Amino acid sequence: MADESAPAGTATETDPVEAPADEQPGTALAPTEGTAPALVEPQVPMLPGEVQPHPTPVKYVMIAAILVAVTAAEIGLYYLQGDVPDGLIIVFLLTFAVIKFGLVASWYMHLKTDRPIFRRFFVLGVVAAISLYLIVLTMLHVFSP
Amino acid sequence: MTTDQVAVPSEHDVVKAGHDAPATGMGVSNTKLAMWLFLSSDCLFFGAFISAYLFYRGRPQPGPHPADVYNIPFTSVTSFILLMSSLTMVLALAAIMRGDYRRLRVWLLATALFGATFIGGQVFEFTEFYRQGFTLSKNLSGSTFFVLTGLHGAHVTAGIIWLLSLWGLATQGRLTSRDSERVEIAGLYWHFVDVVWIVIFTVVYLIPK
Repeated sequence: MADESAPAGTATETDPVEAPADEQPGTALAPTEGTAPALVEPQVPMLPGEVQPHPTPVKYVMIAAILVAVTAAEIGLYYLQGDVPDGLIIVFLLTFAVIKFGLVASWYMHLKTDRPIFRRFFVLGVVAAISLYLIVLTMLHVFSP
Repeated sequence: MTTDQVAVPSEHDVVKAGHDAPATGMGVSNTKLAMWLFLSSDCLFFGAFISAYLFYRGRPQPGPHPADVYNIPFTSVTSFILLMSSLTMVLALAAIMRGDYRRLRVWLLATALFGATFIGGQVFEFTEFYRQGFTLSKNLSGSTFFVLTGLHGAHVTAGIIWLLSLWGLATQGRLTSRDSERVEIAGLYWHFVDVVWIVIFTVVYLIPK
């Protein structure tokens, strides 16, 4: 139950029943036929400025499983050095890194569900960094055999 | 407030609230936009140090060299822990948006603890490298390696402090669903240090020289 001595505007307990409904829009208590309210299936609301709802926690866990699998593949590839040409290993490792980067940025950082302006700013920074440093490193013959 | 007194926000209200644009010039949250701009600029920041490392790696210089001292199984475990901290961070955001404050506290603390474990692993790794003679001043590979990974570690440490402060607010009941964006912005920062480590782990540790 709510702590009556708590300062106003504070959430004192974890139970969804405890906080005012406007502080927990995802968990609604709908009245039933009788007097006892029933807990409605939680619905994760959207934050201001989002164009789609966030993924569900189950989807987050599935993405984490993919990230773990890709990381395991990366590490496995590392131990294939000597058996597989280095060029091939580098291509695969970079591809795996891009996949992991994309998954985290798209789903965990919500670039997929947020307004496109955030994605544009971030992609601008990433592309600028990669382009700038690729040009500099190429000019310094870092990639030359 | 008792159960019977709780007003029910309708589904329409919830969805409508999500679509409402903040009253700013660009129609998006200024704080969130500022964080994205910071992260965008941080890409260039880390890009400079990764490039410096790539430039000096493999050049003739006194040993030991990075590849001689890396402990890939150990670094893989710490990388895995940091990756999992991104999952707990996003679960913390989902929890506060649902109004589930108990899980919010659990996931925020778990994220901070995963981050602290990663930092502990980095301190152990640095200590081992020093013991094997691979130091900041040994050669240019060492200088660029320690500066790059050390700066990343500093970012993680700042993130841990941020998360613990949010956890403290949540523990005192001063972090509610109305403050979801605060958790989201901390999450953006945290996920960014994770994606930077994804790049560092691949480019610095795994790619053969």
